[in-house]
Parts: sequence; C-alpha cells; structure tokens
Amino acid sequence: MFARTHQYRVGAPVQFDAAYDAITALEYVLGAIGADVVNGFQTVARKRRVEVDHVEAVVEGELNNPLTYLGVVGESGHPGLERVVVKVYVASLATEAEIQRVWQEMLAKSPLVRTFQPAIRFELSLQVVL
Amino acid sequence: MEKPILVGAVLYNPKVSVIWDIIAEFFQANGCPIDTVFYTNYELQAEALLKGHIDIAWNSPLAWLDAQRQSGHTCRAIAMRDTDRDRVSYLITKAQGRIKTIEDLRGKTVAVGAKDSPQATLIPLGLLQRHGLQPGRDVQVRRCDLMVGKHGDHIGGELEAFQCLAAGEADASALIDLNWQTWTQDGTINPHEYTILATTEPFDHCCFTVRADFPPEREQQFLRVLFAMRYDNPKHREMMDLEGLKAWMPGRTSGYGLLHEAVERQQFFAGTQP
Repeated sequence: MFARTHQYRVGAPVQFDAAYDAITALEYVLGAIGADVVNGFQTVARKRRVEVDHVEAVVEGELNNPLTYLGVVGESGHPGLERVVVKVYVASLATEAEIQRVWQEMLAKSPLVRTFQPAIRFELSLQVVL
Repeated sequence: MEKPILVGAVLYNPKVSVIWDIIAEFFQANGCPIDTVFYTNYELQAEALLKGHIDIAWNSPLAWLDAQRQSGHTCRAIAMRDTDRDRVSYLITKAQGRIKTIEDLRGKTVAVGAKDSPQATLIPLGLLQRHGLQPGRDVQVRRCDLMVGKHGDHIGGELEAFQCLAAGEADASALIDLNWQTWTQDGTINPHEYTILATTEPFDHCCFTVRADFPPEREQQFLRVLFAMRYDNPKHREMMDLEGLKAWMPGRTSGYGLLHEAVERQQFFAGTQP
C-alpha cells in the first residue's frame, strides 16, 4: 500500500493462523481505530493544554461469522465486523473533568469513530490511570 | 493442469482451516492437488459426497454410517489416523460418591454430549443399554446439545456434561478417553476427585470416505501422498500434530460395529430418508 510518501505491506483480508507472517487488512482496520483514538486524544489534549503522560488502547473486533469468509457451505451471516470494543487507558494528573472534555472532543472529531459508531456495535470506554 | 481432488471437511472453528491449508499445500507439493470444501455439518457433507459434489469426505464415524446407509452400503473407508483406531469412551463419576457400578445409575442422571456425538452420547448410552438400563426410562439423560450437526467434534458438549457432574446436576458424565487424558493433565478434571466408572468397547473414529465410483487411480494417487507423511520428518510433524496423529493408516470398517449397534438401539436415523 502507498500513502503519500509512505508504503506498507498488507496481508490477507483475514487470517486464522497465529503464525501468519503479515498484518491482515482486518488487523490494520482495528489498528487504525486504536491509532485514531490514541493520537486523536493526544492531539486534543495538547491543544487544550491538558497534560497527559501516556495514552494507549486495546482494540478487539468480532466478526459476524468468520466461517462465511472461508465459504463454509451451510453457514449464514457475513464476514463483516459485528462488534468492536475499544478500551482507552490515559495516564494523567489532570482532573477528571478536563480529561472528559478532551475525550468528548476527540470522539466528536474522530473520523473512524464517526464512521463505525453508527454502523456496528462500537463500544468505547475510557479509564484514567495514575 | 490436473483437476484437483475435492475433499470435504466439516468446520466448526475457522482455525481448523489452517490445518487443511497445510495439508493442501503438502498434496500440491507432492503432485496431487486437492481443493477443500468446508461444510457446516455432516449431513450436508454426506449429501455432497453422495451427489458427487466432492470426491472424498473426511467423515465422523456417524457420518460414515450415514453415508453407508444412504448409499446402500457402497461407500469405502480408505484411510484414517492411527488415533482414530481403538478409542474408548468413559462414564465417570465422583470418586467419593455412591455410584460404584453401572447398575447404581438406575434412577440417576447421566450427562452426555450433543445428541449426535458418537463418543459422548450414542456409544455411552449404548453401554447403558447393554447393561439393561434404558435411557429416559431407567436413567435420566441430561444432554448437552452444543453444536449439533458437528457429531461431537466440538468438545464443548463433553465439557458441559462434565460440568453438570461437577455441579451435582448429574451422577455420571460421558467423555472420550482422549479428553479424559487431556483434562486430567491440564487441571480441568481433578483425577483424585473423579473416577472411571465404566469403559466402552473399543471403537474407531473418523475416516476418509469415497463413493464406489471414485476412480481407483485417483484414490491411489491420494493415498500415496497421504501415506508419505512421516512423523519423523519435521516438515510433516507440525501438520500431523495439528491433526492429532502420528501415522495415517488404511481405512477399516470393523471398528464401527459398536456405534452401529448404538444407532440401531436408539433408532437414531428413524424418520430420516435412507
């Protein structure tokens, strides 16, 4: 894949082999969601001068029926994402109110949150750690 | 380009497809291309085999009996794993409980797997019948119908049956010897708390099944590559470990008698078209 002056390699749409040697398209999507939320949070926090030590996210995706991707005869449903769970951990000494303001602004401005939230079960949570 | 042999398999977990990818690569590299066709249950696979949509079916023992029943006993079992031969199932109970013999189960509850599981339901219930205990009349049956259609390939039914025993909701539960070995080693079952109450006669498990009209030269081509797998070859070992075997063996049908007896006694296929 080429994006402006960058390039990266993408593997199969989905893979069920843990030893598969490339990042799948689905994993890139989930990674992109995590990157969008984490980098978006840091960008908003800088803009609002809220000091943040560290932000990280754990993103999990669930397909409606992965067996349909493999063409299993007799299966129903589809191989699309059914549910995405995003848990964001923020390390900061800022007040809860300040962090919540950054969080809400990030959600409102996130291209991927705004894309997926109306389309699938998209569960977002924020946890502040010291 | 030679037409690939079409091999059918039932898939309950997408990770199982990885094993078949490796097997297909092995066959391709050895001059016998195969394509795999996955089915959601054995009934669909048996239909596909008998209609000629696939050449070979990786069949459960119950699917083998079903294919034989529907084909007028003309199918052939051409290969199986060494680990498919001479399996047994156990009825287990609490070591310190009051159940000491099969007869003690009269009026009690036995937890079994899915209704179509040869190893966790049909054969263990057949064992009770051999001892004069009629399921549903002399013994209450608690069936754990997880993933019906997969013929017990999914271990969930057996595990749920054991959990019924552990929770005191059943007086005994049924499982195959391989799961007993695994679960007493990994801590799922404490071997000091549970004991084997009864053991079935040996029976055979899965087999590659073909129709009578499958060309002998194609069959030989398939078997030549299959039997070329060697556990002492590191390149083959991963695949064989994933599939749970140390050697491929010729198919045999003498090990399906116990299941056939159980299926007949329990009228499993009653009401279905032959």
